[in-house]
Amino acid sequence: MLTHYFKIALRNLKRQKGLSLINILGLSIGLACFSLFLLYSVNEFSFDRFHKDADNIYRAYRWTEAMNGEDVKADIYMPSPLGPALKTDIPDVKEFVRFREDWGDDFIKINDQVSSGPVAYTDPSFFSMFTFPLKYGNPKTALSDLHNIVITEKKAIELFGMDNVVGRTIEIKIDQAFVPFTISAVAENIPANSSIEFELLGNFNFMETTNSGKRGVNNWHRSGYITYLKLNAGSGLLNDIQKLASFRRKYYPEEERRLKEAGHTWEANSPLIRFGLQPLKDGHTDTIIQGGTVDQVNPKTIWILLSIAAGVLFIACINFTTLAIGRSARRSKEVGLRKVIGGQRRELVLQFLSESIILSVISAILGFLLAKLLLPYFNNLSGRELSFSFSSYPEMAWMLIGLVLLVGLLAGSYPAIILSSFNPVEALKSKIKVNGSNFFTKSLVTVQFALSVGLIICTMIILKQTRYMTSKYPGFNKENIVVVDADGTESNEIYPLFKQALLTRTDVSAIAGAELGLGEGTGWSRSGFDYKGTPKSVFEYYVDSDYIPLMGMQLIEGRNFDPTITSDTINSVIVNEAMVKDFGWTIENAVGQVLTGYFRNLGPDKLPTVIGVVKDFNFRPFKEDVKPQMFHQFPDYVPYKYFVKIKPGNPSPSLDAMQKEWNTLAGNLPFKYNFLDENLDNFYKAEKRLSSIIGWAGGISVFLACLGLFGLVALAAVNRTKEIGIRKVLGASVANIVGLLSKDFLKLVIIALFIAAPLAFYFMNKWLQDFAYRISIGWWVFILSGVLAITIAFITIGFQAVKAGISNPVNSLRTE
Amino acid sequence: MLLELKNIYKWVNSGSRRIFLLKDINLEVKEGEFMSIMGPSGSGKSTLLNVIGMLDHFNEGTYNFLNEPVHELKEKHRANLYKEYIGFVFQAYHLIDELTVYENIETPLLYKNVKSSERKALVADMLDRFNIVGKKDLFPQQLSGGQQQLVGIARALISKPKLILADEPTGNLNSKQSEEIMELFKDLNNEGVTIIQATHSEMNASYGSRTIHLLDGMRNRTN
Repeated sequence: MLTHYFKIALRNLKRQKGLSLINILGLSIGLACFSLFLLYSVNEFSFDRFHKDADNIYRAYRWTEAMNGEDVKADIYMPSPLGPALKTDIPDVKEFVRFREDWGDDFIKINDQVSSGPVAYTDPSFFSMFTFPLKYGNPKTALSDLHNIVITEKKAIELFGMDNVVGRTIEIKIDQAFVPFTISAVAENIPANSSIEFELLGNFNFMETTNSGKRGVNNWHRSGYITYLKLNAGSGLLNDIQKLASFRRKYYPEEERRLKEAGHTWEANSPLIRFGLQPLKDGHTDTIIQGGTVDQVNPKTIWILLSIAAGVLFIACINFTTLAIGRSARRSKEVGLRKVIGGQRRELVLQFLSESIILSVISAILGFLLAKLLLPYFNNLSGRELSFSFSSYPEMAWMLIGLVLLVGLLAGSYPAIILSSFNPVEALKSKIKVNGSNFFTKSLVTVQFALSVGLIICTMIILKQTRYMTSKYPGFNKENIVVVDADGTESNEIYPLFKQALLTRTDVSAIAGAELGLGEGTGWSRSGFDYKGTPKSVFEYYVDSDYIPLMGMQLIEGRNFDPTITSDTINSVIVNEAMVKDFGWTIENAVGQVLTGYFRNLGPDKLPTVIGVVKDFNFRPFKEDVKPQMFHQFPDYVPYKYFVKIKPGNPSPSLDAMQKEWNTLAGNLPFKYNFLDENLDNFYKAEKRLSSIIGWAGGISVFLACLGLFGLVALAAVNRTKEIGIRKVLGASVANIVGLLSKDFLKLVIIALFIAAPLAFYFMNKWLQDFAYRISIGWWVFILSGVLAITIAFITIGFQAVKAGISNPVNSLRTE
Repeated sequence: MLLELKNIYKWVNSGSRRIFLLKDINLEVKEGEFMSIMGPSGSGKSTLLNVIGMLDHFNEGTYNFLNEPVHELKEKHRANLYKEYIGFVFQAYHLIDELTVYENIETPLLYKNVKSSERKALVADMLDRFNIVGKKDLFPQQLSGGQQQLVGIARALISKPKLILADEPTGNLNSKQSEEIMELFKDLNNEGVTIIQATHSEMNASYGSRTIHLLDGMRNRTN
């Protein structure tokens, strides 16, 4: 019986080539889309599950209760002695591994060739706690020596051109000098669903002998290391908040008392600050506990993306359903006949369902190929390195099989029920006519267009908001500024020479130094202190006196830093308007104010003193309000970033000159630079990503919906051949016929528009609330998307309608 | 007695008026009969055939088929009954376009869950009998009308029915093809298959052993 179903399904597919193409094309695009997002979601939800002991590994975090009405804070950067202390004090802790992420500023040397090569450090037991298989080398001894280093396969090939590099030497710049390390093992590449990432991995104990590492040894007040713990099976430590709080109290005995004395308030019955343990597997989807090189993802976001993809797939399924119903007139005879010769309804339902499942299987095969083809682009979009590997994601196999069956059932069940319900006598007399105009089909088409128009409206609004943020004047000039990155160099010495040499050029108008760059990923530093008894938090920027003029910032009170005034490099600060307001000053009386309570001692009786006020500007993304900020030139800061203002136009000559100067000054260290405006644009990566994902989904939805519409109109034209013929004989023009066929469908598109607009408005308004600076949603967005949708729909319909309209009525009437 | 209809009424309501499609039909058909139903268009021939074939319901009266009271049977039981004992032949052949001759004939056996090997044998017999072995892999569109009707009859006969209901079986055929089909029916009848046909043609009716006339849904007794 199944082979019979299979046969008739294939012959039907062959017979109706156009419709089959629409169905298969639509479903395979929908399935390709969905399987990509499914892969993404499975990857996100499977983070860190590949470790054999994943169930027993935990990550330590610091939990700070909501204090002074602020939000709860939690992060995973721990002091170095935490791991050993936990193991000694709490018997449940079986093992600990500390991990220092790479800070992105290491230089390595191979055969006198210097390049940047980020190095992470970890305890030697790393490879016994985690499952990172080694391609070469022994996991037990991989980090046994202080000068051992583990490299990933990918990095090995990048650096050496081969993967078996055990025994080779890599020199790493530690403090001032290059120190040789021996490669002890080559690790397989890090899976895409790992929150622990490294390219080069050194021994934690070695790291603790370096200048920066030394400061952390036995220091409970310097946090920078992730601590992983393995607990004894069945341990209740995870939820034993009292035990964890008293552990904290042992090492920070005065903490709570001091905070209370300083006037901080919090919910009294829970400890203000405590350590906690987070199951390793939960880390990636927990957005409260911050930290790590891979950004945490809110599960809600994953579900939203998956729903959008499901929506696209749903549209493709609807195409199948509506076209199958539209085609039912053709098949009613077959149904009637099968019933007459003994087919039961159940058997007919089964027959139609197997047809749709066969179609779904064919589409799935095509869709899967399509998805594989699109994967690199999708990876670009998602920022992950995903692959369709059933060994990494074993659940994908049954999910995809389930998906194919589900799609077949979803798309096929309604037509199957309708078709199998036909009364055989009427079906044989071909009295039955379920064409594109029944209510169910109409609702489905409306849903399709509402979904796609909704997505298009959302895309336009997100795009507009992103463009608004990237083009809005931030309060300083961001164009034509090159930011040279001198992290890891003797910048104090290089900077003055670099500046002197380049300023002689006509295409360089100014150079300023700062400790930090600007924009995504270039860091910021915020400090908190009590000003006259109230806690304040201020963004601090170390800059030199050329910075404010170079950036074109506007001083509205006081003066800029002056190189000739000595106090300016000791305790003078320039603040912004937001800080003036936050500290309760006025623009007029701000100059001369002293930041009493500032956490650092700048010399005998030296406290930061305001010498000027700049107009507010946006260093942070436009998502946020302008925060209190201050510029200073306190001693022992180093200008690690050089802001070079160049002439508009082709930047290459200036860049070449800088590169040349850099090479003479910094020796063989690589020259790293960025353009300031690009750095700032990177703030909006997430929004850009979102708009391209939703934009693609919207475009594909529109395409699929139109594909379905195309088929429906074609069917309507066929089903109404006789009517059209008669009308033409009676004198209807082509335009009349086109109107006749398009009217019904265009009405649906307009209804869809009215459903989609308020929904899209609601969700986008909610989304925009997250932005301190935002556009208002103009009515033109809805008009534009409406006009767009109607035009596309009309072109789709018109093609078929005109074809029906110009056909010779005599032919259509004769064939009846 | 094969079947017996007593006081069968069938009507549809059109507004406040009731239009009778069948009115007080009484009919007995014995096994082995070859009966023709005649009457002008709209006289109720097809409706009566559909009622006899249990494809259509009636509003009043009793219908016994092989001593089973059809009017009291549940839908499923009724379907089993006609599946087992009745074969249908149509004016427009009603073959499934997507299936070959062979597969069209085979389909009723699929619905009766006949084993594959047995199906093959039965279909082969049928193809042999109607001399259409050479056409078994063709699709209906590739056959002439007469050949299509042969396939239709073969399909009706494949499940070895006691009764064949034929609704104007030669309505779409030329006179030579008609004659062949009627000869075939006669042969079948001689083999013991009961046949009821609806027809316009006196000529066709003359092949049968009995003729009844319908007019406006009633037995026309004047004739």
